[in-house]
Amino acid sequence: MRFLIDLFTHPSAWYSAHRLLVAQMGINSLLAVSIWVTLYAGMLTLANVGFMAIGGYTTVIMAIHLHTPLPLNIACGALLAGAVGVVIGLPVLRLKGVYLAIATVGFGEVVRFGIILNLGITGKGQGLTNPVADTNAILPVWIVLGILVAGLWRLTRSKLGQAWAAIRSNELAAASGAIDTARYKLGAFVLGAVLAGLAGGLDAHLNFFIDPTEYAFNRAVLVLIFAFVGGILVPAGPVLGAVLLTALPEIFRSANAYRDVLDGLILMLIVVFRPQGLIGRRPDRHRRTRPARPHAEPATASEPVSELATPEPGP
Amino acid sequence: MRYDAQQILNGVFLGSIYALFAVGYTLVFGVLDVLNLAHSAVFMLGAVLAYSLVALHGTPFWIAAPIAIVGGGVMGVVIEFVCLRPLRRRDAPPITALISTIGLALVLVALVEQGRPGRFISWLWRDGANSVSLPKGTVPDRAFHLAGLIVPETKVAILVLSLILMVVLGAVIGRTNAGRAMRAVAENPTAARILGINVDRVILTTLIASSALAALSGVLYGVAISDISPYIGRDQVELRGLAVIVLGGMGSVTGSIVGGYLLALIEVITLLTLGTNVRAAIAFAALFVMLVIRPRGLFGTTARERV
Amino acid sequence: MTPVPPVPPDTDDAVLLELTGVRRHFGGVKAVDGVDLQVDRGEIVGLIGPNGAGKTTLVNLVTGHARVDAGTIRLHRDARDVVDLENRPVHRVAGWGLARTFQNLRLYGELSVVDNVIIGMHAHRRSDVVSMMVPVGPGARGRAERAERARALLARVGLDPDRQGRQAAATLAYGDQRRLEIARALALQPRLLLLDEPAAGMNNAEKDRLADLLRSLVADDGLTVLLIEHDLRLVMGLCQRIAVMDFGRKIADGPPQEVSADPAVIAAYLGARAASAAGSAGDVAAAAAAVARSSVGDARSTDPEAGGAAEGGFGVAGPGTARRSVSAGTTLLEVEDLHVAYGAIEAVRGVSLSVAEGEVVTLIGANGAGKSTILRTLSGLVRASSGRATFGAVDLLRAGAPAIVAARLIQVPEGREILGTLTVEENLQLGAWHRTDAAAVRTEIAQQLERFPVLGQRRSLPAGQLSGGEQQVLAIARGLLGRPRLLVLDEPSLGLAPRLVEEVFDLIAGLHTEGLTILLVEQNAVRALQLATRGYVLETGQVTVAGEASELLANPRVQSAYLGT
Repeated sequence: MRFLIDLFTHPSAWYSAHRLLVAQMGINSLLAVSIWVTLYAGMLTLANVGFMAIGGYTTVIMAIHLHTPLPLNIACGALLAGAVGVVIGLPVLRLKGVYLAIATVGFGEVVRFGIILNLGITGKGQGLTNPVADTNAILPVWIVLGILVAGLWRLTRSKLGQAWAAIRSNELAAASGAIDTARYKLGAFVLGAVLAGLAGGLDAHLNFFIDPTEYAFNRAVLVLIFAFVGGILVPAGPVLGAVLLTALPEIFRSANAYRDVLDGLILMLIVVFRPQGLIGRRPDRHRRTRPARPHAEPATASEPVSELATPEPGP
Repeated sequence: MRYDAQQILNGVFLGSIYALFAVGYTLVFGVLDVLNLAHSAVFMLGAVLAYSLVALHGTPFWIAAPIAIVGGGVMGVVIEFVCLRPLRRRDAPPITALISTIGLALVLVALVEQGRPGRFISWLWRDGANSVSLPKGTVPDRAFHLAGLIVPETKVAILVLSLILMVVLGAVIGRTNAGRAMRAVAENPTAARILGINVDRVILTTLIASSALAALSGVLYGVAISDISPYIGRDQVELRGLAVIVLGGMGSVTGSIVGGYLLALIEVITLLTLGTNVRAAIAFAALFVMLVIRPRGLFGTTARERV
Repeated sequence: MTPVPPVPPDTDDAVLLELTGVRRHFGGVKAVDGVDLQVDRGEIVGLIGPNGAGKTTLVNLVTGHARVDAGTIRLHRDARDVVDLENRPVHRVAGWGLARTFQNLRLYGELSVVDNVIIGMHAHRRSDVVSMMVPVGPGARGRAERAERARALLARVGLDPDRQGRQAAATLAYGDQRRLEIARALALQPRLLLLDEPAAGMNNAEKDRLADLLRSLVADDGLTVLLIEHDLRLVMGLCQRIAVMDFGRKIADGPPQEVSADPAVIAAYLGARAASAAGSAGDVAAAAAAVARSSVGDARSTDPEAGGAAEGGFGVAGPGTARRSVSAGTTLLEVEDLHVAYGAIEAVRGVSLSVAEGEVVTLIGANGAGKSTILRTLSGLVRASSGRATFGAVDLLRAGAPAIVAARLIQVPEGREILGTLTVEENLQLGAWHRTDAAAVRTEIAQQLERFPVLGQRRSLPAGQLSGGEQQVLAIARGLLGRPRLLVLDEPSLGLAPRLVEEVFDLIAGLHTEGLTILLVEQNAVRALQLATRGYVLETGQVTVAGEASELLANPRVQSAYLGT
């Protein structure tokens, strides 16, 4: 509790004492926003840590071997992540629901194990030392975050954003409404990849040393939790979720040991009692629309419209 | 050559454990269309509970193991009533069930992780984040020597037990009324209701059975591999289990069994040909490839969407 | 309703959509089997046919939701610009001006009503990512414009943009949701509007308004409409031309008067007996009346077909349309003032009915009238909001589904709900799920397999491999294994060929003769009333006519409402 009190009574001292935490909050927020983009378009993807790794390692490798300026390194990291996103997205986005989630998890792990652990250039699993790390570079993170959140929020009102909302809500209807669902989904996925790559680059820059454990599956799950708890209606939701949950161990210092327990409990409670997250509209009591005729065509044969009809993640 | 054959043999034993774990995973997915990510935590609890009973409380193994399995069943009840039923009642979208089980898994791992002497959880676990193994002599240490290979008795027992269990499970699902009811609910809950089947009860039974299997595979893992820690669920089987059910086909029991052995085999072959580093990634590479070329897996069925 | 005057005979310019030899087969089923169809600009064409005829599949083939196996589908965007539609991506076809609505509503449920319509404008909207970054300027202007147009469209279809505009689409009343779907389709500025059962669930007043809307869209906005509908009254009054499908084929195509007199059409809807009874009768109502006359009175019908049908394809040895005279058995089922609501839509509004032992009681009525809802409520699958329903000592509204089945009120549901991945025999075993007398169950299963050779021959095959008719028999046999005191049948003739329909009805009649009490819901009103002792007519959730089946058959109101005159 001291934590919160100090925040308001001695802000600058608080900031000096908790710089690392603020940095972490920023990075986690960025990651949460990256997953938000895909959730907004109706896809549950857990590949963000894989893209983050691509961004982070690219940034550091370029710094070590090419000595290029930082913004270029970070940009390259993000763009490379985006390019990989295109390659992965094309085959994978045909999948829906759980299958898509699992495929993206698989991708993330392949990146971590396969590439990072095995290549000499990436340090063969021992991690890399970042020669130009700057642990004070926190403000850029938050500035980038601010611009992104504002931009994404405006984006939701554009043709693109509304197409995403339509796809999330009812993909079949969206396609019938002349929306090229494959293209828009790929767009959301790639944008998420770029943002995650960006987060990776900024995060790597803040650390003297990066290693593969930073990018494990658990982190992907954690990021999902941030986004979900915050609420996926607007991009500010995931930021709120990330900030709160990253700060949680500090707020409840005494319960620090049980932080994960608290995280888990909060998650379970929110999912049951407030599934729309902290920032979100309570879904109205929907009238259950009863189809006029549930089985018009003969029950034996059916039309494969989509490969897998496991229900898509709801908003 | 001997080394290779030995590794393959180990792979077969490990495959039994993967298969048992995956069968539970896939049962829940088949009946409920939900991926129960607390399954790996129950796996861990099975191993931890068995260890605790044997090492901390001096229970003989052959009593501790069944208790651990029953404990798993109890966890199944918890999962149903805490994570799943409230969401079903509220007609929540399926992703919420996924997230709820993630939350529960987080809680369970974290609780065990905090086990230290003097904490309230020390009756279950005292070693924090460390890895321990079952004390020597918990299970007989004998081994056969077959064609120059060392075949530990316990591992043979694991293999035999797993195969028997799978046959029994297959018989129950295929031939009993309860099994038919389960298949009915898996295919079409509305039809099941029309027939007077209590769908909630079938779901509960499925969760209990599935979690008992998870705990059992955890116990066997603890016996086969000297490594019990709060993280074995998350690190060893969670993602491998996913890979297995994807390979075999989500919802297919046969698929999980075949997939379990298949994945173990793939891992061994990768280990022998490409070395340990690649081995870890191979499960996910296989998973990824299968999802792209044949999402329903080897034995799964396609679901169709009606316009 | 006055019919729309016909469009002048086609010139090359007039054709909008042209289907030639279109075929779609899957899994051995010929869903669409060589269909030719032409839709001219400015027409309102109706597409009708019994359930399972392939109407929705045909529309799916046009819109790209289904693969075309053979044939061509051409869209004449204008005189010179012809596009092939087969196997194109759905969004591409929509972009060419084909808007559709769905049989099962597909709205963006949690988005607002206005947003649903605005999203419908996607195809005509320019990319505005940049201009939307600021809350003023061209982006904001575009937004205001779109909102205006959306409101206008909402008003056009009869919704209230001020009161309803900001609501979540899924919270609208059912009829309003259907209208919203049309508004959204209109936002696409389509050339051709494909409507799949747009009037389902509407009452007559709403249907009239829908018809007026469609007429004005054609007359004022130059739209063309292709409409799948079951409400024959609506279709006959609205469409200039009607195409009739049955078993994947087009069996008739012409103006309403012609189509309704076509004996093949009558046969498809009413069954072979009606067709032969119709003979030269020349229209549906007369045919129905003829059929009714031929079965009034006891025992066997004088129809020559009846004797032959005794040895039906299912090997059922049973009489034809034998009917009991009114019995005074004990009341098994008593329903009083039942109200059932889905959210805020009242699907059932104060229905009372009863079924006495030994009777066959039938519920007839249009789609969406509430018949299936009543049955689902009686079996404990749906909660009632108020009323009473008792089955002997069991309170049906409070006991759960398992208890109701245990009390032996057994339902054979709409669409059969066969467990396709289980074998025929396993399906039968599940029919006896609630029973404890295992030995008797085994004997009975053996009996059923013998009684129905089609089942006996396929006992170890997955039930999903049976044909529709065979599945219906399986469903009934499965129901019988529950040892029902009351057997509830929900649309047993759904999706079946006329010949099979006859056989299923023979089966049901046979069960009746054996003393089984039956509650039957049927779209095939004539056949149901022929079979039944008593009947209730349901219209938008209320019972409007009730009485002896023979009376209902002769009742002109029933005839006109359900037989299409």
